Amino acid sequence: MQKTANTVIIGGGMIGCAMAYELALRGMKDIVVVEKEYLCSGATGRCGAGVRQQWGTETNAILARDSVKRFEQMNEELEYDKDIEFKQGGYLLCAYTEAEWTQFHKNVELQKRLGIPVELVTPEGAREIVPHLNIDGLYGATFCGTDGHANPFHVVDAYAKAARRLGVVFETYTEVTGIKVENGKVKGVETTRGDIATPLVINAANYAAGLICKMVGFDLPLYPQRHQALVTEPVEPMQGPMVISFSRRLYCQQTPHGSFIMGVGDPHEPKDFNINSSWEFLEDVSRQVISVLPILKNIRLVRQWSGLYDMSPDANPILDQVPEVEGMWVLAGFSGHGFMVGPQTAVLVAQKITGEECFMPIERFSLDRFRRGELLLEPSVV
Amino acid sequence: MKQTEILVVGGGPAGLCAASAAAELGADVLILERDSKPGGQLVKQTHKFFGSKKQYAGDRGIQIGDFLLEQVESNPKVEVWPDATCLGIYEDGVVTAEKDDKHIKIKPERIIIATGAAEKALMFPNNDLPGIYGAGAVQTLMNVAGVVPGKRVLMVGAGNIGLIVSYQLLQAGVEVAAVIEAAPHIGGYLVHASKIRRAGVPILTSHTVKEAYGNDTLEGAIICRLDEKWQPIPGTEQDIKADVMCLAVGLSPLTELCWQAGCKMKYIAELSGHVPVRNEYLETTRPGLYVAGDVSGVEEASSAMVEGRLAGISAALSLGYGKDKAPQLQAEALAELKELRSGPTGEKIMNGIMKLLGKEGAAC
Repeated sequence: MQKTANTVIIGGGMIGCAMAYELALRGMKDIVVVEKEYLCSGATGRCGAGVRQQWGTETNAILARDSVKRFEQMNEELEYDKDIEFKQGGYLLCAYTEAEWTQFHKNVELQKRLGIPVELVTPEGAREIVPHLNIDGLYGATFCGTDGHANPFHVVDAYAKAARRLGVVFETYTEVTGIKVENGKVKGVETTRGDIATPLVINAANYAAGLICKMVGFDLPLYPQRHQALVTEPVEPMQGPMVISFSRRLYCQQTPHGSFIMGVGDPHEPKDFNINSSWEFLEDVSRQVISVLPILKNIRLVRQWSGLYDMSPDANPILDQVPEVEGMWVLAGFSGHGFMVGPQTAVLVAQKITGEECFMPIERFSLDRFRRGELLLEPSVV
Repeated sequence: MKQTEILVVGGGPAGLCAASAAAELGADVLILERDSKPGGQLVKQTHKFFGSKKQYAGDRGIQIGDFLLEQVESNPKVEVWPDATCLGIYEDGVVTAEKDDKHIKIKPERIIIATGAAEKALMFPNNDLPGIYGAGAVQTLMNVAGVVPGKRVLMVGAGNIGLIVSYQLLQAGVEVAAVIEAAPHIGGYLVHASKIRRAGVPILTSHTVKEAYGNDTLEGAIICRLDEKWQPIPGTEQDIKADVMCLAVGLSPLTELCWQAGCKMKYIAELSGHVPVRNEYLETTRPGLYVAGDVSGVEEASSAMVEGRLAGISAALSLGYGKDKAPQLQAEALAELKELRSGPTGEKIMNGIMKLLGKEGAAC
């Protein structure tokens, strides 16, 4: 393994691979990505794979809006030899409570101002978009037709291949064991396969980002939270959009090959690193999905799994340097939507690091916001 | 939530023997069996078993299966659930199953996994054409469902399954074009090989399938000879017309539940793949979880039955049953296993088990 690098990126998921590509694209040489297991083995490969612009905070909405444009062109831009399977069937966000419906009106106002093509729809209108939707008790829904979902394994593969062509080196099955700091400056990364001297470390380790920051004595305000998902047998294509209900904690999409992927959030989930699957989840998600999409009651499950969200205090990402450790960047706290905002997040941070003009003020994602109590509280998370 | 002392997953020879042995010592046992009739692969084995009388030598597989099933059904301590598929083992110790279209939760104190093995496939062009089967599947089709698979069969693999199924195909009036075997010698017992040779079926060693062909279903296959490095020899291709191809190229342990349960797993070629690490009494690295039969390493039904008995006794003993006689019964089972594994095939198995127990090179 090489002994020196200009930049060491920790984490071979969506953020780490996109970051490597964007930095290399801007002319940075000698970039190494270290990954504990294999590429896409962590949160990215376990995610629900949705890409939505319908967020309740401007920060998330802008990152997602601009990332959609990147997903649309990604096969061409990254000269990918396969297909990232970006399907823009839209997102239908269903309001089954009055509080949600009120929030949705605010969200739509914000999203429209940002140029996101979103509409409020009546229950009947929602049923025209998803004919098998249960509209009993539905107040209404919002729909954005350019939302969708992509295949996270292909997206990461596309970024990694493009980054490799630009000279980025990927070291898999390499775990970071320490960060060397001297006089308040990063000097290197210690791994299970040797040390790499570097002045710049980008911590894109998702739920493990807190552990990495602890290595330099910094307590990142993050906690890991398990989220479970399942996939069904493939059936005839019947559902264009991703269907979401926040009050029923549910998301559910049909992939291009016909399988349904779905998950529910568990409000009682403990804050720990456990990623075992539970039988309770199967029963919970079945009840919730049948209440929203009753037609799925006879579909067979193929597999269940789980992954970790890296929850930040306001469900917005942290894109900042660790205080008093020069050269130590952290990109974490994506709170379950790092995949969909990944492309533009990487652009924003790469612009900052290489001294380009940023397309939006990166300071809005600073660590300082928690100290100042100026949280970007995101109301729309499953 | 269904409670039981010992849950046995799989009602084949290992599972049925495990259940009987544990129940005889006084434990309550529940058997989950995916099929509608327990017995595992015995339900289709019309041939007579070899070996010692203790493992029912001289009886036909189907008779042994019926006998083992009667034994558990006549024991009030054993509950048998046919048509019940085990779905998962979770970290809280709950085992889930599908039965009567319901998601059933079971909380056992001990678990014995006896899920057996699955037939391996073989890679060659067009290996997904209809008409290409596992040999064991064809045996089920004929001997359980009473349906012949076609008119003319190419058998791939000259181990015991390939040889026995070839003979049963002949008995059912199906033509067997040839038995081909990639290894330079026949893997199964000579007595089975001689029977089909006498019937005029050629057994071609050092041969493999190059490709299969056919429009909608299998019409034939191109086979070729292999050199001593198992590489195809150009110019040795032969066209064999056949509407059925049976693959008898070995079995893989069905270890999904062991993986999900978090058992430590090890790849042991002699045992046919990844198998759970376990101690002499068949307890895995997950306390209270035992394995028996092909899931712990592919062997024969005879050793599966003894392993089942050993796992059943050990699980019952760990719950406090049979403290007086269980150690003696365990010793007897271990001695029987040693005897069964004394031949040349047994030596390979013993090497594998020694690797699994971390005792490589030790005398066995």
